[in-house]
Amino acid sequence: MLSLQAVTKRYGALTALDGVSLDIARGEFFGLLGPNGAGKSTLMSLVAGLRSPEAGTITLDGRPLADRTALGFVPQSIALYEDLSAEQNLSLFGSLYGLRGRELQARVTAALESVQLADRRRDPVKTFSGGMQRRLNLVAALLHEPKLLLCDEPTVGVDPQSRNAIFDFLEARARAGLTIIYSTHYMEEATRLCSRIGIIDHGRILALGNLDELLTRLPFEDEITFPATPATAPFAAQLAGQGALTTEEGTHCFRPPAGYKLSAFFAQAESLDLPPRLFTSHRPTLEALFLHLTGRTLRE
Amino acid sequence: MRTILTLIHKDFSLFIRDKASVSLTFIVPVALIYVFGQVFGINRKDTGPSGIPFAVVNASANPAAGQLLNALRAESAFKVVTEFKNPDGTTRPLTEDDLRPLMKQNAFRFALVIPADLIAEKRFGLRLRILSNPRNDIETQTVNGILQKVIFSNVPELLGQSLQSRARDLVGQPQLKDFNARIARTVADTFGVDAAVVERDIADGNFGLRRLDQLEETPPAGAATGSPASTTTRQDVFSQIVKIETEQVVGQDVKAPAATRVVGGWAMMFLLFALSGSATSVFDEKKAGLYQRLLAAPVRRSQILLGKFCWGVLVGLVQLVTLFLAGQLMFGINITGHLPTLAVLCVAAAAACTAFGMLLAAIAPTPQAASGLATFLILMMSAVGGAWFPISFMPDFIQTIAKFTIVYWSMEGFAQVLWAGASLTDLLPILGILTAIAAGVMAIAVWRFNRGTIFG
Repeated sequence: MLSLQAVTKRYGALTALDGVSLDIARGEFFGLLGPNGAGKSTLMSLVAGLRSPEAGTITLDGRPLADRTALGFVPQSIALYEDLSAEQNLSLFGSLYGLRGRELQARVTAALESVQLADRRRDPVKTFSGGMQRRLNLVAALLHEPKLLLCDEPTVGVDPQSRNAIFDFLEARARAGLTIIYSTHYMEEATRLCSRIGIIDHGRILALGNLDELLTRLPFEDEITFPATPATAPFAAQLAGQGALTTEEGTHCFRPPAGYKLSAFFAQAESLDLPPRLFTSHRPTLEALFLHLTGRTLRE
Repeated sequence: MRTILTLIHKDFSLFIRDKASVSLTFIVPVALIYVFGQVFGINRKDTGPSGIPFAVVNASANPAAGQLLNALRAESAFKVVTEFKNPDGTTRPLTEDDLRPLMKQNAFRFALVIPADLIAEKRFGLRLRILSNPRNDIETQTVNGILQKVIFSNVPELLGQSLQSRARDLVGQPQLKDFNARIARTVADTFGVDAAVVERDIADGNFGLRRLDQLEETPPAGAATGSPASTTTRQDVFSQIVKIETEQVVGQDVKAPAATRVVGGWAMMFLLFALSGSATSVFDEKKAGLYQRLLAAPVRRSQILLGKFCWGVLVGLVQLVTLFLAGQLMFGINITGHLPTLAVLCVAAAAACTAFGMLLAAIAPTPQAASGLATFLILMMSAVGGAWFPISFMPDFIQTIAKFTIVYWSMEGFAQVLWAGASLTDLLPILGILTAIAAGVMAIAVWRFNRGTIFG
């Protein structure tokens, strides 16, 4: 459906996208995962037609992206007129996509109902909570029933409840056949929502595939976590030279290299009188993959 | 076109919802124009100064000095003070020694001392002493001017007495008396009047100037004597000596001349403020990511800018017409008689001002910078363009600069329409200039928008 071929975008000396090629099939829920500044928003803006690439082509159904009505774009910020009501905002954006009269009214009503805002339709957006604004921000991009929805980090600053509501809404749309490109730097979001994920950093796609395919690129099958305490500090120091060790929120996470013998791991722990119950083995996450690919965490 | 109308409708909805904007666009300017009108005394019959506290100490026994004091009392510009109020509430005549301490206490800023030797034989002319606290230069010059007018218009014999006194000193009393008698006899023989009366008038310094103000122009048959025009003639001696006939060629039918002259400039200033304020909305929309959303839709940059421009012109037109109609209600300016022509001119002026606001949004890096730059440029344009003072009062180079401002050309246009009753054809050059300014400034704004980060 959507195809990017060798797309390059520069801002002065900075190369934001470096020869990115990507094909997204109809009905796919594609996740674009990367840290801030990786090039996600630039890629989104190119597909949305907000900017032009220096090189490469972007096509939709084999044709250059000319018909904007085929796309729906959810910007990273809450792009709504906060002094206008929810209904006025949706009517405005619907009108800009050529919707008129009863059809527009019907779609506005349906959209408000779909995000549980029908009873607040006449209230100014500035009186809404952050989560309500995010839901309205999302649905404003769908009034004209686009073929492809671009969501540029649509859950920034949203409480967990509203985030789940947005996820449920998007999953329902995806099940109904909508093609979605979803950019995020939260691996949990990409893991939950996306049927295929592209990991992007420094303007390049580093890895592409579904979750299982991506994780097979890791040289280990498990990662081991244990508490970061004074008692475990000497052990963590020993492990630092043996594999990838990260520490986050009071927990060490050890990712062994290929061929690493776990028996050696536990022997070292025993020699330092650390009981086995301190250690938990996990299936690795996209975070581990990103660390493996870039040497950095997603939040760095 | 439908997209532009949708965007204009959006701006209208935002405007209507923003009570502060509505108030600042319509209510505040109307209120300020009313206040300005009162401050500048528009529609007051006597537009000059009034009630300036003015102390007078009269130490002269000359009867003309008393007449001068009475004339000063009759002058509405002055509130004459001649008495000193004691702490116990009693009063006494002011003395020269009282004046300086009272002036330092700001009891009054001007005082006139008429000395005992108002007229002296050893010198020519009158001797008067004015004490002043010239903290306001215009007020000081005004007071001096009014004082001179009062002296020469009301007590011209003081000059005659001065001449007589000087002549007495030079030739001696007997010879002067003989000279006066000869002159009186000649006048009496020639005009058939009483020689003794003429000789006494000459001796008193009354060379006939006083008689001039008792003359009346022969009234037309049936006209009532003592009409306002003839009264004015009698009171002003020098208007009898130098007859100046004035003929107003343009604007004879203007009902409220003072207001008609100034309201256009004020309205332009408020329009500029209102439209430059709308420039900040461009920054708000960018900050909210709304341009991303609009441009991802089937909306082009040019449509966004054109929508903003059309909305600005519409608001400007409505604001200007509202302010002029308020001027009609408050000050009696004739607007309805010129409404179609005025509306066309308002569109051109609003277009130029909107383009100015768009340029500010295009060149300023932040809304704060845009606001500061707008205030600076609007005040400059208003002052230089003639919204505050007639530009003929300004130096030549400022008058040249004025011709590069929107305010100047808009005011010229308003004057053409409201003062001279110009037709649309007469207005074409000014409309052309305003349209050219709008197009030129807008072109720069669009160029800057395309190069800048507003849509980036």
